[in-house]
Amino acid sequence: MKIRVRLALISLIVLLLTLLISINVGPIKINSFNYGNLDQLHRTILLDIRIPRALLALIVGSALATSGAVYQTVFRNPLADPYLLGAAAGAGLGATIALTNSSSDISALLPIFAFAGAISAVFISFLISGKFFAEPSTLLLSGIAIGSFATAVQTFLQQRHSNSLRPVYSWILGELTAASWSTVKWAGLYVGLALTVLFTIRAKLDVLLLSDEEALSLGVNANQLRVIALAAATFATATAVSASGLIGFVGIVVPHLVKGITHQVTNKNLPYIAMTGASFLILADLGARTLLSPAELPIGVLTAFIGAPFFIGILRRRRLGAK
Amino acid sequence: MIELNNLSISINSKLILNNIDLNIESCKWICLVGPNGAGKSSLLKVLLGSLEYSGSAKENGIEIFRNSKRSVAYVPQNPEIPLGMRVFEYVALGAGKSNRWGKVESRLIYEALERTEIYGLQKRLLTEISGGEFQRVLLSRIFLQNADLILLDEPTSALDLHQQISVLSKIEDLKVAGKTIVSTMHDLTLAAMYADEIVILKDGSILKTGRADEIVHATELKQAFNNQINVYTLDSGNTVIFPERN
Repeated sequence: MKIRVRLALISLIVLLLTLLISINVGPIKINSFNYGNLDQLHRTILLDIRIPRALLALIVGSALATSGAVYQTVFRNPLADPYLLGAAAGAGLGATIALTNSSSDISALLPIFAFAGAISAVFISFLISGKFFAEPSTLLLSGIAIGSFATAVQTFLQQRHSNSLRPVYSWILGELTAASWSTVKWAGLYVGLALTVLFTIRAKLDVLLLSDEEALSLGVNANQLRVIALAAATFATATAVSASGLIGFVGIVVPHLVKGITHQVTNKNLPYIAMTGASFLILADLGARTLLSPAELPIGVLTAFIGAPFFIGILRRRRLGAK
Repeated sequence: MIELNNLSISINSKLILNNIDLNIESCKWICLVGPNGAGKSSLLKVLLGSLEYSGSAKENGIEIFRNSKRSVAYVPQNPEIPLGMRVFEYVALGAGKSNRWGKVESRLIYEALERTEIYGLQKRLLTEISGGEFQRVLLSRIFLQNADLILLDEPTSALDLHQQISVLSKIEDLKVAGKTIVSTMHDLTLAAMYADEIVILKDGSILKTGRADEIVHATELKQAFNNQINVYTLDSGNTVIFPERN
């Protein structure tokens, strides 16, 4: 009890702090505590740029971190990430189709295309793995196959439409620049729904770390729970990807950070993982906005800079631990 | 009381279990013995309810397959060991269902750890402890789960002799507490020592069932192992069973 209260408090305080810092810091100094005395321009920057952007980082960060933790549980693999089943490649292909189709202005529909791409890629992975409820390892392999295929098609399309390379490229690197209140609203709604499902089943999820037979004896239908968990996690990931492009490593770094701090692997910690993911991405976005100010660093590049060494660290620790 | 009638399983047109008829009384320890591939593990999975069968398998009159309302604990021969998980968290999984997946009282987990004498291991990683310690962790989980029927696939296969006796005595405690135990066991001497009843399986069929002290002398036991075992009775009345050297 004690440790959970402490965790909840710490992750909430960190989240609120990062939110506050993030809306106050930027190329233009704004003191949000002094809102009454701000002129119209500063108010607009605060309300229409900084706040929606910080909120979108919150939504995307919590979605990716939570989905990452759930994927790691379902696949019994600490290095699984939410893009594993082809969600990233599918979204990339969807976005590329939208961006390279210069005939009409469908690039505004990019989020919808990316979302459809991500969901279909994962769904096809499920279908290919044989039974819909197949073994996690088969599912993982078919996810890799679908991912490679989607990436190949995407590269082909890019080659044919080299004039639209740049927007596709910057989307793939991940960006929160396009954050608007409407994006915040729909992404918030979808991610909120998916996370509610995952939080509801979070205590049961731990049993998926055991064999299916043990799960059955402990009162859990493993197949059923796997499908619910993967569907909700994929929905959250697809929403995140379509709102902000591909932002890597959040789904690996954050769950491991929380596991490292708490010494617990339990999914009961999902709400704290979500909050930490939100704080992580808000901070990463702050870095992306300010490090090379006034130019902007793609946020995906920044998370990869932090994430890749972290990933290697986990790998090495696992290898040493296995001795 | 569990009743299996005319129960068969075939996977990819290979007969795994063939016309099994078996009654399992409550509060007894039943041991399944037989060579590799005899169908022991499959029979355990039938009792768990995870394997589909033809014929019938009823527990107190209700069909077993995928019946989620039963109270049954199961430990496979090679359980998954979740990476990064600590003993305390692992044992707590035993009480998930009975707590409706809410918070498990720490006191109950400590009690379960104490019963298998591994209280000091609670903060250790599962990947750090020895095979014998892990068997005790599993037993703690079972103590906490408090199921009526306990299914154990080779509970002592990876243990030294001392650990085997110690783990088997803990399992015996469960039986004394009113649980029904069904286990598979390769070591026939230990099976004869602890089980109330022994079921001899070969090629998916039951060769013979009966009281442990009688069944060790049955010709069917030798037959199951192609007459390559010898059975001796010691002065103490205990039976020892050795493989025959070629």
